[in-house]
Amino acid sequence: MISESGSPAPRNERPGDNGRGGSYVSRSDITEIPSARSHSGLAERLFHTVTGGAAWIVLIILLAVAYSMASGGALAFKTFGFGFITSTNWDVANGQFGALVAIYGTLVTSAIALLIAVPVSIGIALFLTEIAPVWSRQPIAIAIELLAAVPSIIYGMWGLFMFAPFMANNIEPWLNDHLGVLPLIGPLFTGPPIGIGMLTAGIVLGVMIIPFIASVARDVFNAVPPTLIESAVALGATRWERLWHVTLPYTRSAIVGAIFLGLGRALGETMAVTFVLGNAHDLSASLLMPSNSIAAAIANEFTEADTELYRSSLVALAFLLFIVTFIVLSLAKLMLARVERNLGRTN
Amino acid sequence: MINLAAPTDKKSGDVQGPQQTKVDISGLNFFYGKNQALHSVTLPIPANAVTAIIGPSGCGKSTLLRTINRIYELYPDQRAEGEISIDGQNILGKVDLANLRRRVGMVFQKPTPFASSIRANVGFALSYYEKLAKWQLDERIEDALKQAALWDEVKDKLDQSALSLSGGQQQRLCIARTIAVKPDVVLFDEPTSALDPISTARIEELIDELRGRYTIVIVTHNMQQAARVSDKTAFFHLGELIEFDDTLHIFTNPSAPKTQDYITGRYG
Repeated sequence: MISESGSPAPRNERPGDNGRGGSYVSRSDITEIPSARSHSGLAERLFHTVTGGAAWIVLIILLAVAYSMASGGALAFKTFGFGFITSTNWDVANGQFGALVAIYGTLVTSAIALLIAVPVSIGIALFLTEIAPVWSRQPIAIAIELLAAVPSIIYGMWGLFMFAPFMANNIEPWLNDHLGVLPLIGPLFTGPPIGIGMLTAGIVLGVMIIPFIASVARDVFNAVPPTLIESAVALGATRWERLWHVTLPYTRSAIVGAIFLGLGRALGETMAVTFVLGNAHDLSASLLMPSNSIAAAIANEFTEADTELYRSSLVALAFLLFIVTFIVLSLAKLMLARVERNLGRTN
Repeated sequence: MINLAAPTDKKSGDVQGPQQTKVDISGLNFFYGKNQALHSVTLPIPANAVTAIIGPSGCGKSTLLRTINRIYELYPDQRAEGEISIDGQNILGKVDLANLRRRVGMVFQKPTPFASSIRANVGFALSYYEKLAKWQLDERIEDALKQAALWDEVKDKLDQSALSLSGGQQQRLCIARTIAVKPDVVLFDEPTSALDPISTARIEELIDELRGRYTIVIVTHNMQQAARVSDKTAFFHLGELIEFDDTLHIFTNPSAPKTQDYITGRYG
């Protein structure tokens, strides 16, 4: 983990000496040396079995879920081949199923949600750790955590009955007139202002995941060592300079972790999205048009799936959601690892 | 065991004759909420010399240091009363804090590198105070790293993360970062308490090299260290200044019985 380049560091000053300031070796890097005693006592053995078993169960469940979805969707994959992923055609009457619209809808709504939720959440967290009066920090933090406990169907109903009409009457006509006429991004904002569609769904999702990202980010900012803050202040840095050059770099990987948490939730969210997305299997460039997401399609159509192929196609969709989530989160992890490696250069 | 050679040499050949006072602390009281941690401390700290502050834990050594750059103000329940004059200006009054902290740098107990490159760490504060072209910035960074005796070890990897350095190197980086903005006063708060003996020796050498260029105040638990590096020593006990004198005097012939007890290891 610690990069030790072949520098001419003289004497005994090597990473790992007593004087290391920050601890950049995490607990999971430590392996105890097994001794003759370590597996002997009953308690030791029991502890080993229970913790080991718990860890393995997770892996087994994961594989079992993947397998059952893959085998459930096997018929669809066999029938349509790779076309299942690339086709936008979802024609129930003629037994034609393609997943592209749902995949696209899932990714786009999640992306909109992140665009909205990340800056707002980090703003909330910074406000709560740095700027808000001390007496108000705890109550606001609790209120935000309570928001996370609101069931998604409530967000869905709010989205459908309150927010979608608001979007249709106020926001979307404005978007049509002002952003819809621009080159390049114009097509994203054209279309009838009906209030239901990818933009509305993305915003509702964003509101839903704000409490998750904000409360984790707040804990992360609270965990910045006071001596680090003091060193920056002792150099005369203002609050903004300290936040931008010290706090954010220090917390970078944990903040990305918080964003993953929100992203994972946004990708799989079902109820709220179903209410406001419109459930139309049409691929459209416009964010104002109704679309579909994988989770919403499954929830809406499972009861209607009257043929073997239809049901298999829905299970195959579920499998794709599994894969999409896996790919997105892996990409994010890889990106983070690259940022960490290039840390020096990017600053 | 206590080497008194270095400080005596320095003082016998004193450059400036009678030493000027750089930081003049008078009647300083300090409070943590309702607890008073310092009781009317009066301490004239000489310019361009090394002043050590010693005393048992909880005697207010670090507290005193933290008033000189007003870093204590980060914590709302802490407050200082009295007067601290730097070059005749009372810094406990209305002053520009950023400017004060440029003039008074601080090095902490534990190395506190920022999570960025070595270059960005040293240049951190420079860009806030001065408009510098890229080459000027590089020059100042090189100069600071050279003064901190770190240049040779890092000159080929300025763009690598500061976190990849060893503990001792990190602490010297923090010193470089502090002196990069050309402060008048440098405060060291037990700068070697988290370091191994070899890194400690290097830091002490470094403080010795910085002597004369900066007014240095060092808080230390280690009496040998105080004896090795300082010209003047102040002994604190329970928030009061017991004795302040030439280091040689404090360690060989202290006037107060409490000082005598402490340096002979009877408590603390």
